[in-house]
Amino acid sequence: MKTYVKVALFVVTFIALAAILAALYMFNLKHTDMAKAKPHFVVSAVTLQKEFETDETAASKKYINKILEVTGKIASVKSGMNNSLNVSLDTENDLSDINCALPAVKDTSAFITGTEITLRGECSGYLIDVQLNNCALINKKK
Amino acid sequence: MKRLTIFICLLSIGLAGNAQKYLTKNGFIGFFSHTPMEDIKGDNNQVAAILDISTGEMVFQALVKSFHFDRALMEEHFNENYMESDKFPKSSFKGKITNLSSVNFSKNGTYDVTVEGDLTIRDVTNKITAKGTIEVITGGINASSKFNLSPEDYKINIPGVVREKINKNMEVTVTMKYEPIAGK
Repeated sequence: MKTYVKVALFVVTFIALAAILAALYMFNLKHTDMAKAKPHFVVSAVTLQKEFETDETAASKKYINKILEVTGKIASVKSGMNNSLNVSLDTENDLSDINCALPAVKDTSAFITGTEITLRGECSGYLIDVQLNNCALINKKK
Repeated sequence: MKRLTIFICLLSIGLAGNAQKYLTKNGFIGFFSHTPMEDIKGDNNQVAAILDISTGEMVFQALVKSFHFDRALMEEHFNENYMESDKFPKSSFKGKITNLSSVNFSKNGTYDVTVEGDLTIRDVTNKITAKGTIEVITGGINASSKFNLSPEDYKINIPGVVREKINKNMEVTVTMKYEPIAGK
C-alpha cells in the first residue's frame, strides 16, 4: 500500500472515531454542576423577587437562563416526584417566593424551615414565584 | 402578565376568607415517551394550580423551562427546538370537573372525575378531556390524572430524522397536592 493511502485511511478512521466519541459525549452530557458553576448573579431572595414583581420583562431579560446564587430563609420544603425536592425561600411578598427545584436530593438534613441557606440554579422565570431549576445547595464557609 | 393578574385575583378572593379554593405552587406535571430507540422523560415540580371546589374549576400554569430532564442535551433540545421556550415561556390549562356532584369534598375518600378544558401549549389551544381522581384528605385535596397528548396537535415540529425516537402519543402525568388558601 502506498504511504498516502495509509495516511488517508488513518485520517478517515481518526475522524470517524472522533465523531462517534463526540456524539456519545453530547448524548451523555450531564447538567452543569451547580455546586461548581460560576454564578452570573449573586442576589438575595428578597431582592430577586422584588425585581420580578416591579418589572417582569426587565427581570426576565436579565435573569432567565442565567445561573443565580440566591440566599434566603427557607419558607417551606416539599418533596416532589422522583426524589426531587422543592425548597421555597421567603421574600417580602406573602404570596410570592423563590421556588427552587433540586433534582435527586439524598441528604435533606440541611433543609430546615426558617434557616438561611444559599442555593445555586438556573432561573426559568416568574409564575407566582420566581422559579429556579436544577438547583444545588452551596455550603458557605462561616 | 395578564394570566398572572388573573392568578393574583383568584388568590385574593381566596384570601378574603373563602374556604372554597385550594392552591399548590409545587404541582407535578411529567411526560413520558417510549420508543424502541429512546425513552424521553421530563418532570416539572413547580406547576402552579388552583382548584375551586364550589364550581369545580381548575387552572394550571407551568413554566416550560422548569421541566427537568436527566440528560442535559435533551433539556436543551426540548427548550430550544421543540417548545421554543424563549418565545412561548408558559403553558396553561383552564378547565372544569364535569361530574362535580359525584365528589363529596366534606368526606375523605377517592372519587373518579372527568375534567374538560382548554390546554394551551406554544400559544396553540386545544380542547381536551381527561379522566382522573380527586382524593379528599384531612387538610387538603390531591388530584391526579394520566392522559395522552400528540406533539403535532400543538404545532411542535419534529424533524423526520428524530421522528421515530419520539412517540406520537406522549403520556402526561399530573399530580397535585392542594392546600386550602383561606386562613393563611
